[in-house]
Amino acid sequence: MGQGASRLQRRHVILAGILWAVLTAIGWLLVVADLYPTVGSDEAEDFDDIFRFLLILGVPVFTFVVSAVIYAMFAFRVRGSVPTEDGPVMRGHGWFPRVWLAVTGGLAVFVMVYPGLTGLAELQSDRRAYGWGERDAEVIIQATAFKWQWLFQYPDGTTVSVAAGKELVLPVDTSIRFDVQAADVVHSLWIPAFRLKIDAIPGRTTYMTVKPTKEGAYETDQAYRVQCAELCGLDHAKMLFPIRVVSQAEYESWLASMKQGGN
Amino acid sequence: MGLGLIGFYVGFVLLALIRSAAGIDDAWGGEVNIVGGYILGVLGWLMGIGMWGMWSREWFGLKTYRRDLPGWQRYFTFNTDHKVIGIQYLVAFICVFLLAGLIALLMRLELASSGLQFLSTSQYNGAMGLHGILMIAVAVAAVVGGAGNYAVPLLIGADDMAFPRLNALTFWLIPPVAVTLMATPFLGGIETGWTAYPPLSTTTNSSQILFDLAIITFGLTSILGGLNFLVTIIYMRAPGMTWGRLPIFVWSMFVTSWMALLFTQGFAVALLMVILDRVAGMAFFKQEAGGDPLLYQHVFWFYSHPAVYIMVLPGFGLALEIISHFSRKPLFAYRYAVGAFLGILGLSGVVWAHHMFTSGMPNYLHGPFLVATELISIPTGLIFLSALGTIWMGKLWLQTPMLFALAVIFNFACGGVTGIFLADVPTDIHLHDTYFVVAHFHYTIVGGEIFALFAGIYYWFPKMTGRMYDERLAKLHFWWMFIGFNLTFFTMHLPGIKGMNRRIADFPSSLDNLNLLVSLNGFLLGASFLVFMYNIINSWIRGPVAESNPWRARTLEWQVSSPPPHENFPERPVIKGHPYDYGVPGSVHSVFPGVSGAPAGGGK
Repeated sequence: MGQGASRLQRRHVILAGILWAVLTAIGWLLVVADLYPTVGSDEAEDFDDIFRFLLILGVPVFTFVVSAVIYAMFAFRVRGSVPTEDGPVMRGHGWFPRVWLAVTGGLAVFVMVYPGLTGLAELQSDRRAYGWGERDAEVIIQATAFKWQWLFQYPDGTTVSVAAGKELVLPVDTSIRFDVQAADVVHSLWIPAFRLKIDAIPGRTTYMTVKPTKEGAYETDQAYRVQCAELCGLDHAKMLFPIRVVSQAEYESWLASMKQGGN
Repeated sequence: MGLGLIGFYVGFVLLALIRSAAGIDDAWGGEVNIVGGYILGVLGWLMGIGMWGMWSREWFGLKTYRRDLPGWQRYFTFNTDHKVIGIQYLVAFICVFLLAGLIALLMRLELASSGLQFLSTSQYNGAMGLHGILMIAVAVAAVVGGAGNYAVPLLIGADDMAFPRLNALTFWLIPPVAVTLMATPFLGGIETGWTAYPPLSTTTNSSQILFDLAIITFGLTSILGGLNFLVTIIYMRAPGMTWGRLPIFVWSMFVTSWMALLFTQGFAVALLMVILDRVAGMAFFKQEAGGDPLLYQHVFWFYSHPAVYIMVLPGFGLALEIISHFSRKPLFAYRYAVGAFLGILGLSGVVWAHHMFTSGMPNYLHGPFLVATELISIPTGLIFLSALGTIWMGKLWLQTPMLFALAVIFNFACGGVTGIFLADVPTDIHLHDTYFVVAHFHYTIVGGEIFALFAGIYYWFPKMTGRMYDERLAKLHFWWMFIGFNLTFFTMHLPGIKGMNRRIADFPSSLDNLNLLVSLNGFLLGASFLVFMYNIINSWIRGPVAESNPWRARTLEWQVSSPPPHENFPERPVIKGHPYDYGVPGSVHSVFPGVSGAPAGGGK
């Protein structure tokens, strides 16, 4: 390819690059958009940060491909019913594929390590355990999943379910570990406001530890719910349970009133 | 068909008699009777459809006979011509695709607003399960069985596949599978989704046994087909067609066939264990008897992850193939593209547990699977290198096959990026089993593979039918489908992040608007197929007669008539150069010595 051809090539690269920049700027609007449920816990904040970070990296990757395709469709198209000439012979044997491989490889390894493995390390306290977060927690709640509802038992013996209590009351700014069991088939305990889920498997106890940081309740914010997130048969869609996050004082008085009510 | 029914009843009765002789209670009511009936029923069906006369007779020392019906009737018989089988697969699976798409529209109608409108939870679950498994079947078999069967022997200069009768067998196993699956809504429905996790699948009182039997049969077609393609590609290439001159679609079929051959057993054996737990009192997944439900998930995903590459790699191969011809340029970084396919093959087998990050499997498994899954993005990126490098500075002829091929690149770029959010465990924990995942896999499989399927259909339509489709209607179909698809599934990510999980007939009312938007766009997407059907049917019946090489392409299938003669190549071709060497002076892909000595498929 001669001098004239490389200048042409450079012009194409610059114009396509501008298109890439514009599309990326538009795509990055997603980074500042409110895509998320309420940030109800420490873990939720971490999730939202990591999600936004991956968006910042992912958007330019997507827009790179899109801008190349769109630019090519406009700049290199041939009109007419039959192609009358061939394009330049570009084999892709030289430096370009190697640079591409290095860049994509580097990006993959980077994302794998941060936030992948680093995030994982923060979420897993014990290699041999089945679940998320620290094993030590201030409040430990036994959760039992069955077709098609939930049963929760507090440390003092209080149980809540659709028959008693009707909502899962949790104290704010306290670490809470859910020990999750399944009575019949595989279910999954998911709390959207906290961004954590762990499956309930018959035959083992799984767990997840969360620290709620914001008070809220299901009737005003549907993210405050326990939702079964593994298809468990007929009424899987209805297997949800309201949550209420309250202050420590309110939590204690609620517990006391449940005890008085004979729970 | 009659033989099939007879076979079914014989099998059923036989097993019931055996059971009553063994003194088992309720000898006539067990699912094991259905198993026996099904096996003999399928055998009866195969024999009746023509396998007995054309093949099985020789197992008993009897002479076989051929039955070559003319015209359209060939497509309804046990015909061993790969071109007939390819078209049988394509037509059958397009029909399944449209049916499963209607089911999806039914689901989106229900999901257009929260609350249960007109479907019960049981009806919704069954519809959703059927939509899932039918689309999985389309994704696994349409491109491979349809485009692959039709084009691979032509592309390599062979006169048929290595095992033509086996090829016909794989197609004729499909009708029993289809019938069995279509029966499920009337017999309890698929309550478990296509993933069929135990203990739900081992304890459910629905049509689980039918699902298991159908899938095991379907897996058989995948394995046998994979074997056929491997032997064909390895041994039946025309002289001069070295591995370095193999069309990229054939490379993608080669790699896909390894995966189909090696991994499909995982799904079959997982479901076999479900059947045994159900009918034979075994306890693979019964924790109270020492079993573990997680065993199923590992075995199942061991296949089902490579399965998605079985779905997508032929799509990539087809997209790259078409992109090269319609850019009039060599395939950029061809060796890297081949390396990419091989790299994906190698990695595909070690990433399965990224489907199980929240399953309660031991914590030490997450790291390695996260690493391996992220690594797969590297060879996948090389496919994009090849595609983008080929279109860059090309002479782009934006006909419909090319538009669909470019859409594959666009769509999979989005689907691939969202995959990163799922490969990284911290984000996957929230996103697993939400509509974010549903959006991701529709982008990759529909956006990647189904768009490639349509690219292939339009690309090879003139070759297959001898007639040309209407280009304006085809472009209308493309833009309508592309816009409808992206509007539907891009939007779908949002309710997922906001907290809507999968496989539910009802959802929190705060997500009403988003779901309505997805549903409306889904109907827009569905409507685009009306244009496709009209165009294809009309053009097949009375479109203008097509020439042998409407696309002026260099590969072998375009050097023979449209449609090709029965033996494909009246004279065996000899390969003299690369298939994609457009613009290389004096280069020639193939010659047909003996016909006139004139080169075919040459450069300008």
